[in-house]
This record gives sequence, structure tokens and C-alpha cells, in this order.
Amino acid sequence: MPSTDEELVARSQGGDLDSFNQLVLRWERPIYALAYRVIGREEDARDVAQETFLRAFRALKGFKGQAKFSSWLYRIALNLCRDWMRRERRTPVAQAPEGVDIIELAGEATPSESIDDRVARHQIGRVVGKAMASLPEEQRNAIILKEYHGLTFQEIAELLDCPLSTVKTRLYQGLSVLRKQLQDAGVKSTFGG
Amino acid sequence: MCDSKELLVGYLYDELDAVERGTFETHIGNCAECHAEVAALRATRAQLTQWAPPDPDFAFTIVRRPTAPQPAPRFRISPVWGLAAAALLVMALGAAIAHPEVRYDNGSVVFSTGWNRQAPVQTTATAQTEAEWKAQVEGLNRRLRELESSAVSRQPAGASPVNADSDVLRQVRDLLSASEARQQRALSKVTADATQQRRADFAVINQSLTRLQNASDAEVRQYRDSLLRLGRVAYQQNSSQR
Repeated sequence: MPSTDEELVARSQGGDLDSFNQLVLRWERPIYALAYRVIGREEDARDVAQETFLRAFRALKGFKGQAKFSSWLYRIALNLCRDWMRRERRTPVAQAPEGVDIIELAGEATPSESIDDRVARHQIGRVVGKAMASLPEEQRNAIILKEYHGLTFQEIAELLDCPLSTVKTRLYQGLSVLRKQLQDAGVKSTFGG
Repeated sequence: MCDSKELLVGYLYDELDAVERGTFETHIGNCAECHAEVAALRATRAQLTQWAPPDPDFAFTIVRRPTAPQPAPRFRISPVWGLAAAALLVMALGAAIAHPEVRYDNGSVVFSTGWNRQAPVQTTATAQTEAEWKAQVEGLNRRLRELESSAVSRQPAGASPVNADSDVLRQVRDLLSASEARQQRALSKVTADATQQRRADFAVINQSLTRLQNASDAEVRQYRDSLLRLGRVAYQQNSSQR
């Protein structure tokens, strides 16, 4: 039975590096994905993820468990993303590939997914990325944390330091903008639309 | 109800309690606009799932760097320990070369040094004391025999032997007093010689320590002067390179 985050954190605070590396293995992809969706650059997102864990490691002694370890990581990563955007003085970019390599997609396709479906999914993903990049930072972060990381309204409110109602408003407004942009881009959905 | 977007979002993400959920489901069953909006936003959420980041190649772990070996300490003489060690060395050398003596022994020349050998003054004094004691004892015995023989030869008939005995006792006491005085003089001389020798030894040690202190101060001054010269040369080189 795998150890919980709390158990691994406690052992890490006692100096067990293996436990901390288990936390890294468990959370590096979600943190990287968060950074990528916020800032839109693969290389920079990887750097942010690495820096997130370095900072967490250095500050681990001061982590008292008042929040979930994952929420603590998300907060560090979001702060780093905000620093990156201020430093770069730029809005996030949608770095989806313009062209689609059919052969590569064919290799990635699962038996239940045709190449056509695969190509369509990549194209939708590129459009979604562009639409997300156009959102205000507050709406984008709320949608990312809700849609891709499954945080509750309350967790998002604590992470973004805003009231619960504000989180719901940002989600509604952001989803509404995305809905319109995706419709304008001609993206068809197989789900209810 | 149509204006409550918080309820709509809560319903969309399934974060309503049972009562709120029931109330909102009743509403969208009767409100086509809200029903359509919920459906459209669900479709948008489904489209969002198509956006996936590139698969990264992670190789990130926290490792503990091996502790860098400490550089070997440069040889450095601590002033206090250096002085103490030097003082011990000087004292050992002083002990080794103190009281040199050259004597002819069993047909060969012998050179000896060191503190362990008894001081010549003390040795001479002790030898003199023993010789005097022997001479005095021998003299007393001889004097007693002379007195005994003279008393027997000069004693007239009827003479009192008490007078003769008192004379002998007086002479013996005189001899003993004279011997005691000589012993006191010899003992005083031995004590004075030993004190003089001790003072001379302390003077030698003090001289050695003084020389050591002067030598250390001179070395420190020399080292400091060398550093200052090197610093001046380095500064001049830097200035010329600029």
C-alpha cells in the first residue's frame, strides 16, 4: 500500500530523501501540466516544475500541514508562473504545433481511437490552448485548477486567496468565453453540442 | 433562479448538496434557457479535455551531494604552541650541552655533558667533608692514646685520679667543639655552592628563552614584511594591467 502524502512529507522532514523523491515522482507531472497550461511553454514549464520542487524541498521544514501538500505545491508553482509572466512581460502562449504529423499521431493512437479521431483531438487541443491563453489570468487559473486538477471550489478559493463566490463567478465567466471562442472556431463536440 | 450562476456552476461541477441539486434540477426541467446553457457548458468542458501538454521527459530528483573533502590545512605555526615547542627544544639542547667535562680516564680522553652528573662543587665539598671527618676521628684516637700513656707514666703515688680524668674530658670537649665548628663551615660552603650553581642554571634558561623570544619576533616581522612586499607587487601588477 503506497504511503500517503502526509506520511512521505513527515519522513522527508526527518531527512529521508527517498520519501521526498517519491513525492516528486507523484506530483511532477501535475505540477508540470499546471505550469504548461498557465504559461504555455514546454521548456519554461519544466523549469517551473523543477524550481517548484526545489523550493518545496528547501521550505519543507516549515510546512506544518495546514493545507494539503498538493495545494502547497500548486501555490508555489502558481507564484513561480506569475513571476515568470511578469519577468517575461508576456501573456501565456498557446504552443500547440501548427502542423500535425500523421505518422506520429498514428503511433500514439490507441486501438479504440482512429487516426482521424486522433487528428481531430489534436486540432481541438490547439484551439482550446489558444482560447485559454486569451482568458484573463484569474479565470484561466480557476478553470485550470478545476478542470485539470479537480480541486474543489473551497480549495481553489484558498489557493487563489479569494472568496468562494468569486471562484464560481470566474469559472462561469471563463467557461462562457471559451464556449463562444470554440464555437467561433468551428469546434464540434460529441458531447451535447 | 436563472440569475444564480453560482447554482449553475455548482450543478455543472456537481458540488451542490442534495437539496440544492434537487431544486436546480426542477428548475432546468422547466427552463429551456438554463437547460441549454448547462448542456453547452458541459460540451465546452468536454472540449477542454482535448488539451493536453506535451509529454515531458522528467529526470528530476533531489540528491544529496557528497560532502566535498576538506582541504588539507596548510602548515601554520600557532604562536603559543610554537613558542612552547621551541622553548622545550632549547631546554633539551641546554640540558644536553650543560656542564661539559673533558677528563682522561683509563688511557683515553672522555668528553661528557648533561645535568645528571653531579656538580663538581658539590662533589668536591662532600669529599673534603669525609676526609676531614676521618682525619678528625684519627686525631682523636691518637690524642686519647697519648693522654692515656702520659697519665699512667706521670701519676705519682697517692695522686688523685679525678684531676687527670677532668683534664682528659676537657680536652676531648675542646676537640669535639673544634670539629663541630669545622663541620658547620663545610656545610655552609656546600650550601652556598649549590645555591650559586642553581642561580647559574636559571640564568642559562632565561637567556635561552630570551633568545627564542627575540628570534620568534624577528621571524614574525620578517614574514609580515614579506607579505607586505608581495601585496605591493600584486597591486602594482594589477594597476599596470589596467
